[in-house]
Amino acid sequence: MELHDYIRRSATLDNQACIKSVSIAFLSNFTITGLGETMQVLCHDDGIAAEVYTAPYAQYAQEIISEKSGLYRSSPDIIFIILEPENLLGDFYYFPYRMPPDDRKAFIEQKYAELEGLLMLLKSRTKAKIVLGNLALPTYSSRGIAEDKQEWGVKQAVQQFNIMLRSLCLNDPQLFLFDINQFYLQVGCDVACDPRMIYRGDMKISPLALVRLASTLMGYVFPLLALTRKCIVLDLDNTLWGGVIGEDGMDNIKLGPDKLGKPFLDFQKRLLELFERGIILAINSKNNYDDAIAVIRNHKYMLLREDMFAAMRINWDDKAKNMVALAEELNIGVDSFVFIDDDKSNRALIKEFLPEVKVLDLPADPCLYAKALEELHVFNLFSITDSDTNRGKQYVDQKKRSELEKTMPDLASFIKKLEIKIRIGNGDSAVIPRVAQLTKKTNQFNLTTQRYEEEDIAVFMESADYLVKYIDVEDRFGEYGLTGTAVVKRHDAEGYWEVDTFLLSCRILGKGIEFAFMQDILDEAAKASIKQVRATFIPTKKNAPAAGFLSECGFVNDTVEGEIQHYHVDIGKEKKREKMMEVKLWKH
Amino acid sequence: METLKELMARVLHIDAGELTDTASSETIASWDSFNWLMLVSEIEKNFSVQFAMDEVMGIKTYKDIKDALRAKGVTEGIGE
Repeated sequence: MELHDYIRRSATLDNQACIKSVSIAFLSNFTITGLGETMQVLCHDDGIAAEVYTAPYAQYAQEIISEKSGLYRSSPDIIFIILEPENLLGDFYYFPYRMPPDDRKAFIEQKYAELEGLLMLLKSRTKAKIVLGNLALPTYSSRGIAEDKQEWGVKQAVQQFNIMLRSLCLNDPQLFLFDINQFYLQVGCDVACDPRMIYRGDMKISPLALVRLASTLMGYVFPLLALTRKCIVLDLDNTLWGGVIGEDGMDNIKLGPDKLGKPFLDFQKRLLELFERGIILAINSKNNYDDAIAVIRNHKYMLLREDMFAAMRINWDDKAKNMVALAEELNIGVDSFVFIDDDKSNRALIKEFLPEVKVLDLPADPCLYAKALEELHVFNLFSITDSDTNRGKQYVDQKKRSELEKTMPDLASFIKKLEIKIRIGNGDSAVIPRVAQLTKKTNQFNLTTQRYEEEDIAVFMESADYLVKYIDVEDRFGEYGLTGTAVVKRHDAEGYWEVDTFLLSCRILGKGIEFAFMQDILDEAAKASIKQVRATFIPTKKNAPAAGFLSECGFVNDTVEGEIQHYHVDIGKEKKREKMMEVKLWKH
Repeated sequence: METLKELMARVLHIDAGELTDTASSETIASWDSFNWLMLVSEIEKNFSVQFAMDEVMGIKTYKDIKDALRAKGVTEGIGE
């Protein structure tokens, strides 16, 4: 589809079936007609109803400054600011060398300070995520080959501007740098910037590139809505290697450093890197199990080995059925899956029966496999924590645990044999990104499903009226990382505490950890001479696993107020449980 | 290669029958300034020609487009 096709489709979208919604705003200093419309269509195709506000062009500063601007009225969840250097830098863009080097430096620093001021103002007025494109590097200099012999030449000036922007965004949970130069490298500058389109319609980014830009910017929308994909489900023949193992045999499949094998080898490298970043890998393939597993175990150039796959379905069942079984085994939704298969009919089957699965339309030519994977923007997180990078391995550990569970006579002895150790901490600001992320991503074992930004958690941690706790879990098979958190509102004067948030990642459920964590909160309340702890359960479509938890802890159901169920427990009346794990204080 | 009529009907999302010689941005709602730029790009690609800025700005009607293409030596795909 081309830009005008997207614009036309955007006018007739039916968003009724969408499960999520988002409000997006664009600020720019040049014409970006069609970008918002394309985003709306892409959102729709991923089940997101998007409202889009595009500020009148060249009025980005006014829109930020005026409190009554359309920008603020649109109450955006995310704001994209895309600026081009010619408008921003004015005469400097054409005549930088009219000034001596010191003045050029001062000029750029002043331009940066102006933009930083605008951004600080914007930050003070909105909670939206702000994504700021940097400036495109000039492709021309009157100094020609001597350009890089200049102090604060035009290129260095723009580079320095970009470095300052990057530093500004580096540790700010609200600000994100979008590297437009990387985008131009991917698209090709001559394609992205067509002088004829610039003069005909002030289109500094060509229609073709605007469509690609929308797709790239979707990479920010997915994590905003907690739609980040967690797991890649892979076919084998002609996907991880060339050829069909059952027909060609181990010696003839294409995989390795030679010309025919290298595209597959490089594709596996990209997948391996994603695994090391924490993406779960799984197999869904029609093969004889023995043929396929022999390649995975023994082929000299196979990079993805058996212990990297958290689950495997290598059989002759239909792939939709296998996909559902994988979701059950991994205890994640099919909406966390990306499916990669060279076979069009398998892709069509999954699209038809499991539309929540993201299906990568793998190009026919294996040379283009790695690039197709690189252009998927569905694995993004706003910040990557240690817990994220370990996840792929954790799911593999889980597979080993399940195997142990099968040989265990009863749950209690199973739990004891796991040798679980939990550490409970509070108040360390280093965990804020992970704690906020958990509140946004945890759907199943979550009493109230309160979503918090990093800024909110920071406020709670600093406040004497709140207690923020979090737990870190490991067992004999490995570490789960920081996988549970609770926010407790203290009403010390009134003699009670209120559990505002209590959640655990589903991969540590079923081990009694949730009870130990709640007991820790109750013990701490007792120490503070609190008489009662109150809690609520707010049912959602997904949090049924947490429904009976409060009762199981000994909380008493008081009232039901609409959907909200209120509970309380008097300290000392809670249901005590057998101690099955080591619990200690997390000393940072 | 598409004919001019097919191409314009597709980009403007209209019935080819609406493209009479006098059809213009005045008579076709979807023929706005933005879609006109899209049309110019598509026509250039389809017929392997390039329009100068004054041509882009001077063309008003469907007939003007055909005349401009003929002037550039295009013979196929624009006949009636």
